Parts: sequence; C-alpha cells; structure tokens
Amino acid sequence: MKHYDAVVIGAGNAGLTAATALQRGGSRTLLLERHNIPGGCATSFVRGDFEFEVALHQLSGLGTKDKPFVMRQLFDKLGVLDKVEFVQEHDLYRLVVPGELDVTLPASWTGLRNLLQGMFPAESEAIERFLLVCEKVSLEGFMTLPKARKANSDAALQSLCPYYVQYGFRSARDVLDEFFSDAKLKNVLATYWLYLGVPPSMLPFPDLAVMLYAYAVFKPWHIKGGSQAMSTALVESFLEAGGEVRFNCGVEKILTEDGRVCAVRLEGGERVSCDAVVSNASPLITFNELLDLERPPLAIQQDFKSRRMGTSAFVIYLGLDCTPQELGVTAASSFIYETLDEEQIHDRMGTLQTPLGGMLTCYNFEDPSAAPPGKSQVMLVCLQYGDVWKSVAPEDYARTKYDFAEKLIALIEKVYPKVRQYIEEVEVATPLTMMRYLNTPGGAIYGFQQSAQDSALLRERLDGVPGLYIAGSWTSMGGFQPTYMAGESTARAVLKQLKVKEVEHV
Amino acid sequence: MSEQNLLNSIAGFREAWQAKEALERSGTDFHEIKGEVASTVVQLHPKRLELEVAEVIDETASTRTLRLVATDHSLLPPFQAGQYINLFVEIDGVATARPYAISSSPSQRVYYDLTVKRAQGGFVSNYLLDRVAAGQRFLSSGPMGTFHHNPLYHGDDLVFLAGGSGGAPARSILLDILDRGLSHRFHLVYVNSYIDDVIFDDEFRELANRHENFTLSEVISRPPTGYWGYTGRLTEELLQRLLGDIGNKMFYICGPTPFNDNCVELLTRLGVKRRRIRVEANGAPKAPNEQTGWPEGVSLDDEVTVTVRGRGSFRSRVGEPLLNALERNGYGTENACRSGECSLCRVKLVSGAVFNPQEAHLRKSDRDFGWIYSCVAFPTGDIEIQL
Ligand SMILES: Cc1cc2nc3c(=O)[nH]c(=O)nc-3n(C[C@H](O)[C@H](O)[C@H](O)COP(=O)(O)OP(=O)(O)OC[C@H]3O[C@@H](n4cnc5c(N)ncnc54)[C@H](O)[C@@H]3O)c2cc1C
Ligand code: FES
Repeated sequence: MKHYDAVVIGAGNAGLTAATALQRGGSRTLLLERHNIPGGCATSFVRGDFEFEVALHQLSGLGTKDKPFVMRQLFDKLGVLDKVEFVQEHDLYRLVVPGELDVTLPASWTGLRNLLQGMFPAESEAIERFLLVCEKVSLEGFMTLPKARKANSDAALQSLCPYYVQYGFRSARDVLDEFFSDAKLKNVLATYWLYLGVPPSMLPFPDLAVMLYAYAVFKPWHIKGGSQAMSTALVESFLEAGGEVRFNCGVEKILTEDGRVCAVRLEGGERVSCDAVVSNASPLITFNELLDLERPPLAIQQDFKSRRMGTSAFVIYLGLDCTPQELGVTAASSFIYETLDEEQIHDRMGTLQTPLGGMLTCYNFEDPSAAPPGKSQVMLVCLQYGDVWKSVAPEDYARTKYDFAEKLIALIEKVYPKVRQYIEEVEVATPLTMMRYLNTPGGAIYGFQQSAQDSALLRERLDGVPGLYIAGSWTSMGGFQPTYMAGESTARAVLKQLKVKEVEHV
Repeated sequence: MSEQNLLNSIAGFREAWQAKEALERSGTDFHEIKGEVASTVVQLHPKRLELEVAEVIDETASTRTLRLVATDHSLLPPFQAGQYINLFVEIDGVATARPYAISSSPSQRVYYDLTVKRAQGGFVSNYLLDRVAAGQRFLSSGPMGTFHHNPLYHGDDLVFLAGGSGGAPARSILLDILDRGLSHRFHLVYVNSYIDDVIFDDEFRELANRHENFTLSEVISRPPTGYWGYTGRLTEELLQRLLGDIGNKMFYICGPTPFNDNCVELLTRLGVKRRRIRVEANGAPKAPNEQTGWPEGVSLDDEVTVTVRGRGSFRSRVGEPLLNALERNGYGTENACRSGECSLCRVKLVSGAVFNPQEAHLRKSDRDFGWIYSCVAFPTGDIEIQL
C-alpha cells in the first residue's frame, strides 16, 4: 500500500491550490479527481471551433502589474504566475432593465464615482460616503479584522475596524437604504448580487462592498484559455514539484483509525494510506458519505443544521457566427433584469418559470483569442436552485432543459435581439449538469447559501476529525478568489499539523 | 473575552447569530439526502451500462443490428436521437471499445439497437458481426454526443445526408420525429455503394410512403447495369435538384470520412453556412499524414517506442492511434467518442512528439502543457506518457 503525507480529494480551485501548496511546502501529496480533467467549475470544453469557459466571469483580487493584489502574490507563490496570461476587462458591467435603465459601470474607482454622481446628482454626497464605506469595510475585513480577532480585544476592534463595527453584519439592502433614496441607484449598486444568488436583503453588506471595491480598484480579469488554463497550470506546477495526480479516480471512502484519518479507498477498491486528507468535495458528501463513521461528529451535524443549500446555475454556452459588434455587445458582462424588484427575481430562481434576471458574458469582447476570428463566445446564465430539477422525470429532462433555455434566451433577446440567429454551437447546462460534474448536492456552485448566517465568523472550522480538512466554496465564500485562497490557507494548516507530527515521531 | 463576545459589537452580528440558531433548530444535518447526488445523476448519465444482447437482427450481407437490453431488464436511460454509446469489448485478451450510434427510437427505452456494418480489416466490427450471439453481455458508456437535433436553433426543415452506416443515427432521428408526431420536415439523402447493401431500405421506403413530412432520396454509387435511380457520387447538381431552395435548412452528415468531407464541400458551394451543417465524428483519421502539419520524413509504417511512465514500454507503428496501441499492449484509459471530441482519453505527454490531427479538439491549455487525446494522437517518434 502506498503512503502519502497528504491526499487531496478533488481538483477544483481549492483542491488545486491546496495540493500545489502542500507539495511545494514539502509534503508528499496525491491529488485525486473523479473527472478526466482538473478544475471542477474552473474548466472548459470544446465544441466545434469553440472552447467554452464553464464558470469564470470575472477574476477578482489580481490587481495590475503596477498595483498587484493578493491573487498575484498567491499565483506567484504557487508557481503559476508566468504560466498563464491575464486579460483585463475595462468595465464592471452593463445593467439593463428594458424601458427603465441602461448603464455601464467602468472598472475604475473614480470613474465609478463620477459616473454615478453624474447620473444621480441629488445623491452625490451619499455616493461619496457610500464608496468610502465600501473601501474601508473591504480593507478592514482583509487586513485589520484578523488582527483584532487575534488580539481578542474590544478596544483593538473598535480602533482598528471602525467601519466594520458599524456595517460588518448588516444586509446590503439595509445599508443601501440608509444611504440612498433613489431606488434605481440602489439597483445599480447592488447588481453583483446576481453573481452570488443571494438577494440584497439577505446579502451580507461586506460581500457586496468587497465585490464593488475589489473589481473597481483591482479590475476584473479573464484568463487566456479560460479558467481551465489556470487549473492546468496549477497541475503543471504541482507535477513539477513532484506531486502525483490521478484523473478518472473517484474516492469512495475516507478511512479512520482511532478516530483519526489514516487512508482513503478509491473506486475499484485500492487503498492509499496518508496522514492527512484535504477534501475539496462538498462537506455534505465528505462527512455524510465518504467518511467511514456512521454519523459525523456532533459539532459537524450541528453546523450542518444551520446551513441552507446554495444556488446552482442554468447556463447556455453559445458559439456565435458573428462578431461582438454585430451582436450589439458594448461591455463584456451584461446583467438583464425584467423587473427592478430583486426579491422577485430571487423568488423565481426556485422555479422553472421564465427567469426575471439573467446575464450575458461575451468572452472575446476583451480577449479576441477567446473565439475564432469573426465569431463570438457567449455565455447566458441565470442562477437557479437545483431542487426544482429533482422532480423532472428522466424522460422529460431534455425537453424541460430546452424549454427553460428558450425562456432564458427570450429574456436575453430583449437586449440582444440577434443572439439566436447566429448560433453555430450551443450547449445547455442545468443544475443537474453541475451536480454531475461537481458532485455537489443540489448542483450547488457556491456551496451553502451565502447569507449572513453562513459567515465563517459565526462558525468553527469543520475539524471534528483529526487529519481531515475541508477546503472549498462550502466553508469559505464561493467563487474563484475565495476558493483559490481557501485551498492555500488550508494547506498551511495541514503543513503545520504534519510538522507537529514529524516532531512527535522524532 | 470569548471571540463571540468580541464580535458582538459588530452591527448586525447578534441578529445573525440568532438567525443562525433559529436555522439550527429548524434544519437537518442533510442526512436525508445521503446518496441523492449519485442516484440522481445515474438516471441520466450512468458511467457504465450493463447490457445483454436480446436479439441479433440480420439487416444486409454486411450489416447486423444488435438489440441490447439492460441485464436487469430495467428501462435504459433516455437519450437524444442521434447519440451514441461506447461499447466495451474484450477480444482475444485485448480490452477495447467502439462508439456506435443508437439506431432505434428514443420513444421506447426497453432496448437500444446498434447497427453494425463490417469495416474492411476492422477489429471490433468483425467480432460483433461474427462472434456475438443473443445472451452475450457487454458494458457500455451512457448515451453521449452532440450529433442530434437541437430545438434551440436547428429549426424544423431538416436534411440528413447519410452514407452507409450513417443510416443508423438517421433512422433514430427519423423515428423520433414520427413517434412524437412532430411536423418537422425530414429529407434523407441516402447514399450507398451497392443496391443490395442498403440498411433499412424497405422500412425507409415504407415510412416515406406513409408520412408526408419524410422524403427519401436514394443514391447508389456503384449501380448495376439498368439501374433507374440516382447514381454515382453526390454532386452539386444532384444536391441542388434534390434540395431545391436552401432556405434555413439544417444539415446532418454521417458516413465515411471522404463522404462527409465531400458533402461539406458541396453544401458550402451551394451557399449553406457552416453553422447549418452538423457532421458526426468518425474516429481517428486513416491518413493523418495527408493533413497539414504532418512532420516531414515520417511515414505511417515507421516504428516507435512508447513508454508508459512507471509501467513499461512497447513498440508501435506511427500510423496506429495511441489509444489503440495502448489497449493492444494491455494498457488503457477511459474513453468514449474515440474521435477526439470528448477528451476522456486525455493523457500527459511527458516527452517526445505526437501529431494531433484536426480531429483532436484539444483545449488551448492542453496544447500549452502537453496533454493529448490518445484516441487521435499519432506518435511521430519515441514518446513517454503518463497514464
Ligand atoms: C456556471 C458557473 C458560473 C460561475 N461564475 C462564477 C463567477 O463569475 N465568479 C466566481 O468567482 N465564481 C463563479 N462560479 C463559482 C466558482 O466557480 C466556484 O464557487 C468555485 O470554483 C468552487 O471551487 P471549489 O474549490 O469549491 O471546487 P469545485 O469546483 O466544486 O470542485 C470540486 C471538485 O471535486 C471533485 N470531487 C468531488 N467528489 C469527489 C470524490 N469523491 N473523489 C474525487 N474527486 C471528487 C469534483 O469532480 C470537482 O472537480 C461559477 C460557477 C459556475 C458553475
Ligand atoms: S475518447 Fe473522446 S477524445 Fe478520445
């Protein structure tokens, strides 16, 4: 039986950064992935002349070369910064509510302020203050809050995090209402909620603040070759450091001995022993199905009880035989609402009725290499809870999928009327597709529902089983930057633990 | 001071904490959905199907249909007409597989029909035709592939250009339209070499007589003397005559590679946009050396050494697709389309060079980091790979 210091289950973002950091940190690591390719969500697939990005819309946290931010340092540390090329996007997004609103926000902090103040002069001063609060809450959340927690002193908290103390656990809706009276201004500022699937009334204000601030200051980015290029680059770096990876290799069981992780059993029966397991699979699958205990430790059951299933997505991948200009695209990312009422849009996400909000991303608008010359790679998305798909009988699945796709296309057509006439390739993914490729309950793409109650600040690490670590969207915030970071920080915790063990053995 | 107390002074924290406790009281530990992901996914996309030959049906001198049912006699997964399954076989100690289009209608799920035509020098087709009888069991992939009618943009004016065994997916798509009572127009232009080797000919003719929305045009490329129908290769003139106005027709092409290439060229000349043409994948190219980019001085019959890192090595021929060579030597990878489309057979090229033909639908990052699709990769010198 082979032995490794660490086994990583799943090559999603967090699994990849965990494995790479572990191996580069000197621990012998085996990375196991059920699918034939790394990435989880961060992947691509080819149809005809097109390579479709599956999940990444806008990478955050990178910063420019002159003004780098955390992700540039992280990628550098993991040995992949020079293995991929990044392409900057110049707008945050275009928000269109037909007949009501059509605005494009620039990816620039001052540009954003000027544009909003020009559009809503009566709220000029409030805009200034709001943006300042976004900036402060973001920076405090990243930098000083961890310090204050370490110091565990109220005085430190009050002096280091004055803005966080004032806004840290309020909802986006609450804070927007405090600042503004113009409803449309609030729509414009809250638009990113649609990426996360949590409506402004449930969305923790810091999550919105960070998105606005980080995307505007550190810019939104694409990766050449898509997020798959980053996933494959991470595998390359992992292999270069001496790591071993196996694809088409699902883990069936995590085995314990005296309550401690000792091995994993693979599909097909092979047993691989190890000192630590990092699971990038959903903790629900990890604790309720993979772990060899009858029931997970009490603390974990308790944690699960206060969680709610997060959203999945319905996605149409389009290869179009026309240029972005012919399609009428003026910004890479568009959000389209049917109504100004975000709560109503959110309520629809639990049904198969016509979605009231959707997005269109055109990848070759800023990165011409994302589609063959003269063509366009376009993704239409609306978030959706997976539950409604459970009651669809297998024989009705294809029809249900196409019917719902028609509805999403109809929504997008209100702004981009030509989207249907140039189709050369199309692939439709439902929450069940996500479930199939990610192995997540409900086909969840961000883990649990990310309302304030989900916050990591309210919770302990899920570390009830010594040697077992969870890394991914379920225990951090969902999305690319958070999961890349979660994997790396989990690796640090594992390395520390392995060192302690080594010392014990000496 | 405990951490929770510290954070208590953050606005909204107490409320969030209380809300969390309320959720805890009303929620579950998700134990009730244990196993649900696997049991949901398997209904649509089983990794493997266990099949049994219920019947072998003689079609023509060269062709038979294997009627396959689930070994436990349950219903098979739904599929979209035009899709294929990859059939795993073991022939004289060699484990391999071949994809076959399902020729039966998706309106019933008791069986899948696979219609197998003898391929000159074929390994698996000959085995299936000569050595398989009712009762034999196989494993297969679930139904896959993108060669099917897509209601989002294909429209309702459909033309299928089929050559030989291309009649198999054509039959499934036709039966699907008729069984569901759709009003789509379906025109099958069916090209075969010999008049006595046309699969499903009687059935197609009879259906064409009975259904106004189905038109059958038969073409025989090597007709006997005195044959009165359309003959010879497909030409621009003949197609023009058969099709009339191109309008917004959607074209499906499935047959031998030269037939497919010819059809695409003719349709393009007739002004059909490439986006209105779907061509079914067709395995690895027989003559990769005729494609652009083939290295000079390398011939298909050259011998090379393939090393599988950590496991061993063997001699192989340049012209043999890597996956086949691996299987013949007791190795293997997951696979399904065996045509460079699904990427399941992706392996890492550690050293040496392979030729990736136009069939290889590699991702950009696969090219950048040396990953190849072994089903369509041709080693042009000694190579080492990692399985
Ligand atoms: C359509 C779509 C759009 C999105 N858009 C954005 C966006 O614009 N911005 C953004 O930031 N985020 C976006 N996301 C979300 C983001 O991609 C995810 O939150 C993030 O990638 C999750 O990473 P993860 O590390 O949790 O792993 P996952 O991606 O969930 O991967 C888990 C991996 O574990 C493997 N695995 C599971 N079980 C086993 C087992 N038993 N054995 C072996 N392997 C196993 C799975 O196959 C998978 O590869 C989007 C997601 C989707 C699907
Ligand atoms: S088996 Fe599909 S690409 Fe090789």
